[in-house]
Amino acid sequence: MQFMLMINEDESAYAGPDGAALLEATLAGHMKLAEDLVAAGVPFSGERLKPAATATTIRWENGTATLHDGPFAETHEELGGFYIIDVESLDAALEWARRIPVPKGGIEVRPVWPMGAEG
Amino acid sequence: MADGGRGLSLPLDLAQAIMAARPRVVAALAAALHDLDAAEEAFAEAAARCLVLPAPPRDVGAWLFVAARRRALDALRKKAAEVRSTEALAQVSDMADILELPEPIPDERLRLLFICCHPALGAEVRAALALKVICGLPVAAIARLFAVSEQAMFQRITRAKVKVRDAGIAFELPPRRDWPERLGAVLLALELAFTAAYADAGGELAADVGEDLGAEVERLALLVAELLPQEPEALGLAAQVLLARSRAGARVDGEGAMVPLSRQNPARWDGLRIEQARALMDRAATLGRSGPCQVMAAIQLTHARRAFDGRTDWAAILRLYDVLLALRPSPMVALSRALALAQIEGAEAGLAELDALPAERLALARPFHVARADLLAKAGREDAARAALGAALALKPPRAERLWLEGWRDRLA
Repeated sequence: MQFMLMINEDESAYAGPDGAALLEATLAGHMKLAEDLVAAGVPFSGERLKPAATATTIRWENGTATLHDGPFAETHEELGGFYIIDVESLDAALEWARRIPVPKGGIEVRPVWPMGAEG
Repeated sequence: MADGGRGLSLPLDLAQAIMAARPRVVAALAAALHDLDAAEEAFAEAAARCLVLPAPPRDVGAWLFVAARRRALDALRKKAAEVRSTEALAQVSDMADILELPEPIPDERLRLLFICCHPALGAEVRAALALKVICGLPVAAIARLFAVSEQAMFQRITRAKVKVRDAGIAFELPPRRDWPERLGAVLLALELAFTAAYADAGGELAADVGEDLGAEVERLALLVAELLPQEPEALGLAAQVLLARSRAGARVDGEGAMVPLSRQNPARWDGLRIEQARALMDRAATLGRSGPCQVMAAIQLTHARRAFDGRTDWAAILRLYDVLLALRPSPMVALSRALALAQIEGAEAGLAELDALPAERLALARPFHVARADLLAKAGREDAARAALGAALALKPPRAERLWLEGWRDRLA
């Protein structure tokens, strides 16, 4: 089944004096993870997102949409990117999620609703 | 029994046989269905039909398993006809394959236990889920055990079952290397259940819901020890539960008041359970990996020795608390250690230890006030002891404990 691994991280971790080196190390970690996924034959996709400052949010209230400058929720940790992987179980998905490099933050793992399934 | 104990002539025996068969049957169903709720429902329906049979089946477990999986397959077929999703159809054919499997019932109890205690479930729901699904304890009883409303517990358990079904939790035994982490969750769940059941000295919770909660927790702990004979901490926890249960008959007096361990009559302890616990600990010791559950069991076993030689080896108990404090530091362990120390060095030494504990963190813990009362009384400071008992009583202890504390306070006056 498919799982989405959402990387919620504190962007400010990359802003300090060592930020550039940290970013480089993190990106290298993602490259390595992608290689490992390929080597293990796990179907996957994933993207890195631009910083939360570039986000625009549409909010619906009583049938009208208003635009907001910024991400959906104001928190220290923003969605910075994601993977979608196809593995046997949550246990396997968690195993891969643990290997995602996150200097500061966490990973949310959610099953993808299968197309055509009841619900 | 008229037929020499072979058959199941009384309805009570049949009900007990059904409960005893439950873990194995529900586990096999859950493993086949990947759905705890469906497994429980199928079992409940089969059990209800079993109870009204003109004559009880020879092998209750096998009968229940066959009846329940047939029922589960019918339910799946119906669902597949309604939704016609490929997933549902695949499940029907999977189940049909399982129907062909020969007896006996596959033993999936360990798998089910690891699923109920999966780390993706909240720590506060794991023990509740295991008691509900494996032991079949009613939600009302579990709610009382964990001191939450029945509604809240129902929601908690329902949510956990939905998560198990929909989040993709593997219905497999975790790989061996993950066992220490996973076993930790299993043992913690059991310990929570055990602590809650044991706090119920007078059986107040149990009387309210008509269940012997301690017996159910003991059943689960022994099951875990049986399934994981190479895990010394699982053996240690089962020993601990047995030792606590061995004192059940001595914990409450004729008036319904709790009797503290030091005043219990060892003749009323259950020697069989003490022996069983000792055997479990002997086996654990051969595995050569100590841990907090084994140390706690060793402390309880040292107390149990009083039944044989009439004395308590406080020096040994103090050493064990030192080990426990290093393994699992907590104010409650330090509190018990202070009481052991007082037995050797006197009440004032114990009080000095208690004074060093974080009083603000322990203000709401009854054992803290009870321990202080005990040592203050022994030190001859009766007014202060009465005040400490007042503080304990203000925290609304269960009836048996309240009667004990009130009686004690009256004697001090």
